[in-house]
Amino acid sequence: MKHLISFLFLCFFTVSCVQAETPEDVPPTVYNLCNESATQETVQLWKALCSEYGTRALSGVVANVDWNTREAENVFKWTGRYPALNVFDFINIHASKDVNKQGWLDYSNLTPVTDWYNAGGIVGCMWHWQVPANNGTNYTCSPGTQPGETSFDPEKVNDPSSDEYKRMIHDIDQVAGYLKKMQKRGIPVIWRPLHEAAGNSTEFSGGGAWFWWGAKGPEAYKALWRFMYDRMVNFHKLNNLIWVWNSQINDPEWYPGDDVVDVVGRDNYYALQYPLAKEFRYLQTTYPNKLITLAECGNGDEVEMSPWTKIWTEGGHWSWFMTWYDYNYNAGTSDEHQFAGEKWWKDAFDSGLVIDREEMKKLLEVTK
Amino acid sequence: MRQYRYIITVLLVLCSLFFVPAKAVERTILLGPKTIGKAWRDNILIEPRHFANAKAGDVLTVYNDRAKGMAQAAFQHPKTWQGVAPEYGCFGFAGPFRMTLSDSILNIARTHGIILGGHDYRILRVTLSEAADYTETIVWEGPAVTMKTDWSASAEIPGRCFESLQEGDGLRLHVSKVQEGAAAKLMDFTWNALAPSVDGMPVGEDGVTWFIYDRAPLLKLQLAGYGAQTAMRVGGKGYRLEKIGIVRQTGEVSEDLTDVQRAPREYVLQQGELFRGEKVFPADWSGNISLTAAPFQNCTENDVLVISYTLDYEVQAAGVKAQLSIRNSRWQEITGAKEPVWYPLDGTDVVYMFDPVALDQVKTRGLIVTGVGFTLTKIELISAQ
Repeated sequence: MKHLISFLFLCFFTVSCVQAETPEDVPPTVYNLCNESATQETVQLWKALCSEYGTRALSGVVANVDWNTREAENVFKWTGRYPALNVFDFINIHASKDVNKQGWLDYSNLTPVTDWYNAGGIVGCMWHWQVPANNGTNYTCSPGTQPGETSFDPEKVNDPSSDEYKRMIHDIDQVAGYLKKMQKRGIPVIWRPLHEAAGNSTEFSGGGAWFWWGAKGPEAYKALWRFMYDRMVNFHKLNNLIWVWNSQINDPEWYPGDDVVDVVGRDNYYALQYPLAKEFRYLQTTYPNKLITLAECGNGDEVEMSPWTKIWTEGGHWSWFMTWYDYNYNAGTSDEHQFAGEKWWKDAFDSGLVIDREEMKKLLEVTK
Repeated sequence: MRQYRYIITVLLVLCSLFFVPAKAVERTILLGPKTIGKAWRDNILIEPRHFANAKAGDVLTVYNDRAKGMAQAAFQHPKTWQGVAPEYGCFGFAGPFRMTLSDSILNIARTHGIILGGHDYRILRVTLSEAADYTETIVWEGPAVTMKTDWSASAEIPGRCFESLQEGDGLRLHVSKVQEGAAAKLMDFTWNALAPSVDGMPVGEDGVTWFIYDRAPLLKLQLAGYGAQTAMRVGGKGYRLEKIGIVRQTGEVSEDLTDVQRAPREYVLQQGELFRGEKVFPADWSGNISLTAAPFQNCTENDVLVISYTLDYEVQAAGVKAQLSIRNSRWQEITGAKEPVWYPLDGTDVVYMFDPVALDQVKTRGLIVTGVGFTLTKIELISAQ
């Protein structure tokens, strides 16, 4: 009987998912993974995300800079519970010991990732894609002509003879290697590359991109996104990725397309409940077939982030949230967490509106 | 004859008093407290009058408290808002921080004054002292080290150089060939920064001086002993390290506050108050106050904004009509109108009622009050139910 129920459950959820709470007169929204060859584990994770969407949010943190679960440990220290999601950052791949003898970290050593996954956590990866700066010694994401910035041209994605193209291939392949290792270990990854591309170019006149991948406008950016998608999914056969694209609000011309995006995210450090709810509604309306997530959040320079209870009650029903790291807090040189401290996290878990790692583990069992 | 002897003695004593050099005195020019809160929103103008008799080489010191771990400060040009010199545009600190007045800084200070800003600390007082108030002993004279742009170079400073170093002393780096964006990092012998504020401190043409007000870095330097072993490493980028000196303040402190500039009184906000104090909106239209959207999150159309002020009759005497305007944080009219709406001021409070558009704007972006010819005293959000 138990098996029959499980079988029926699986038949209901295949690769696509149906939003759980929908008014009877409105046809339920179907959310599909864009990669039809997604691994079984990835489909299971996708189902879990869809089943909770609109009901509760998954809790998440980013690593302290790159390749660790330091921030998740902070949350555990404060609340006795781990967040469901830990996001790693490929920001320092040039300094990874497998490619650089003088490197200071090792992305080829998957221990932080596998430990987290084996404990029931969801693995996320993002990529502050650093390329050589104009001074020839540093690495940076910041576009510009200053020595510490980079003139790296994303349009060169269309020019296979260019140095930029070769660098893109090199770096994508390096990252794909790490992601492939995760796939081989059965680890699905919430994958958020090329984020915040539009910068503040759509916010006010004179605004611009703050990462090189947005420096040449939406067409070059979309070509780069599709290039990466194709290289990773079709060439490297990475089928363990859930692709998250970041909106900067009012930037639909930067959207790479339904066929290469699974989730639409928003990063916000003016994270007050009212503007967040407005942004959530905007994204839900603009991308009705996509899950919507608060991909980065935290206190900003000007305001403290609203408690999660208020964010949710105001209508911001994000699929998950991810708070940002505080390097100084983690180094012991600051007593207060700059982005989301103990009080905020306690409120989030006490609200009953947030899923932690233990609950996530159970959810994934159900979707097996 | 005896009488003459007495007169001569008195004259000699008076003459000697006259010729004894006066001891340099550190005098307070600005008295706080003035809270410099988050996000570079707060600042205070140190008025030009304080610099009328100052000389190049004089030192401005900012005594402060309540500084958070990553507090930063800035000395800015009041017109351009740029640092008065590149190294003073933004820097970290722990304990009092100082700026040596160069000719060009002095020029700005005498003409416009200096804006003291930053984030996450509180100014207690600002003083001005003369170069003669400080003595310097050179403790390391090279060989000079060029700090390349990739932060790879460093100089090793032996422990014997720090034998006389005391709490309150400054370590001064004498530099040359300073490039744009030059920065220094002072490390202990294990390559860790001696303090967060010296992990990439901006370096100017005159070098940089770090005053030690904490036992911790002193202890780290003493760990290596006072011999030939490396006690400190100086790294960074974009400059050449020539010498290191220990700077010690020797002057006296004056308690005379007769000509001091006092920071505006700070108030604790009561329930519903969004601002309370004395914020001047002068004739040059430079006055404004910005409020974030945070206090408006639960605001409804039943709420009203009450703005209280006193009129500045000096400005009005010059023919300027006192008025104010309420914008969103992007300086657009919060009612959605294309042109700014001005409220003439007659001395009575401005009571602003929110329509749906304005309500959405303040809840999303907050607001800015701008205007001319008045001193803002209070902004209150009141429920009109």
